[in-house]
Amino acid sequence: MIVARRAIEDRRRSLAWWSAGIVGLVGFTVALYPSIKGNANFDRLAKDLPDVVRSAFAFDDAIPITSAPGYLQTRLFGALLPLLLVVFAIGAGARAIAGNEEAGTLELILMHPVSRSRVVVERYVAMVAMVVALGAVAMVAVFVLAPMFGALERVSTGGLVAACAGATLLATFHGSLAFALGAATGRRATAAGGAAAFAVFGYLVHSLGAVSSALEPLRAVSPWHWYLAHNMLAEGPALRAVLPAATVAVAMLILSGPRFARRDLG
Amino acid sequence: MNALEVRGLTKDFGSIRALDGLDLDVERGEVFGWLGPNGAGKTTTVRLLLDFIRPTAGTATILGCATSDPRVRGRIGYLPGDLHLDPSYTGDEVFRFYGALRGGVDLARLDELLERFSLDPTRRIGELSTGNRRKVGIVQAFVHRPDLLILDEPTSGLDPLLQHEFNDVVRASVADGATVFLSSHVLPEVEALATRVGILRRGRLVAVVTVESLRRQARQRLSFVLERPPGASPLASIPGVVDSRVADVVVDVVVEGSAAGVVATLAPFGIARVTSRDDDLEDVFLGYYETPEAGA
Repeated sequence: MIVARRAIEDRRRSLAWWSAGIVGLVGFTVALYPSIKGNANFDRLAKDLPDVVRSAFAFDDAIPITSAPGYLQTRLFGALLPLLLVVFAIGAGARAIAGNEEAGTLELILMHPVSRSRVVVERYVAMVAMVVALGAVAMVAVFVLAPMFGALERVSTGGLVAACAGATLLATFHGSLAFALGAATGRRATAAGGAAAFAVFGYLVHSLGAVSSALEPLRAVSPWHWYLAHNMLAEGPALRAVLPAATVAVAMLILSGPRFARRDLG
Repeated sequence: MNALEVRGLTKDFGSIRALDGLDLDVERGEVFGWLGPNGAGKTTTVRLLLDFIRPTAGTATILGCATSDPRVRGRIGYLPGDLHLDPSYTGDEVFRFYGALRGGVDLARLDELLERFSLDPTRRIGELSTGNRRKVGIVQAFVHRPDLLILDEPTSGLDPLLQHEFNDVVRASVADGATVFLSSHVLPEVEALATRVGILRRGRLVAVVTVESLRRQARQRLSFVLERPPGASPLASIPGVVDSRVADVVVDVVVEGSAAGVVATLAPFGIARVTSRDDDLEDVFLGYYETPEAGA
């Protein structure tokens, strides 16, 4: 795993900054909870919002946003935290093969006795490990910081772990898409752009599917919907939030790996 | 067993044929020059040998192994024409990481090369001058005592002193039994090391010749500035002169083989300055290049 370890070491500085950003986001979010907790005005306001907005920010009729599970879901796990993780994962995925290929550093590895498939597997492992590390940072931050502001009341531990796993897998899914597009084409812009476009598509379909019967069926292919269909903080872990994303992510690696092994380097 | 055996190697990029049916044998222990103007297909050949790109047709074997076998690259030392080292790495990180991909670094050998090229391995690649960056690539190509060295324009960007040092390292490797495949678009770089030379043009191998016969046949393009005007062209009757032009005290001449006759003829007019422009292969190897085209 020399190649994977080096790929992670190459990003250590960047990882530190992203971790700091995520801890900051979590800290800022949970620190605001006491001002909203039990305030009925916010619940009425949330209920009056258009359905699209409610869906876009993961509001749930049965779970008041003034409760800890409702608050954390809408303010953190519903959009901002997964969005940050997705952005990082797409960057890491697009860089892993295509970015390094364009920079010319991939050839430096491949001029040594290392097979293309080994590079694909190790670089993929590195990408996933970095996304998982950031997801773990978010989870630890919530576990440590939220209780200081009472923001973990009625949040199940299993549910919180599952929500972090779900957000991490959502990011891994998009990182895998960027990785696969990059491995197949060797073009970083294609890899990052394609994955970002799919992330926006999935998010819009999930949000608009709440009000549009025409878009509703498309929610089935939206990783955001897989992840956000349930408030796992309140309802506990749901396999639906993790299994499809993990399966498709691995499938993309299996499809793109052989293509990378066969094609010409750019 | 030859160090390199290439049969019918062909590479198309879209509708462009970059390499066309190359057949080539390079013997073990030989320094083989791979000469051609830019765009002739030299780098395409090198990239095919390293399995960065895959042939449209044909095969290549290195030291008896197919180029598609990654293990053979453990026996190759490759110096790319332009080296894209990560600027955030230190020299040490480069040698340790890429060395680990080969299963470890011979530290004694590494120190010997670092000292030879007076390279400080603690500095980041981004802080190094072009010449020092080049040295990092050279050390990485030679450190594992490879059986085959593939060098792409190795001395471009090196000062003369360093070129000399580099040539010594190559010769020492050859004395230890290594084979060298030296790709270049300039004759002097190849002339200094190679025994045989393959000349490539527009993806086709035009000729394989010894360096001696190349010297005999190669054309030189010389420009003289004289102290006194020589009058109407005094060079027309000198053997080997292909073309000459006189403008007052400036004489431009293209000569095939030795320039001795030209210099002797011009000496009485006082030679103030001589410049040579034999870096243009299209001119130097006009002979080779014109023949096959004439038949086409």
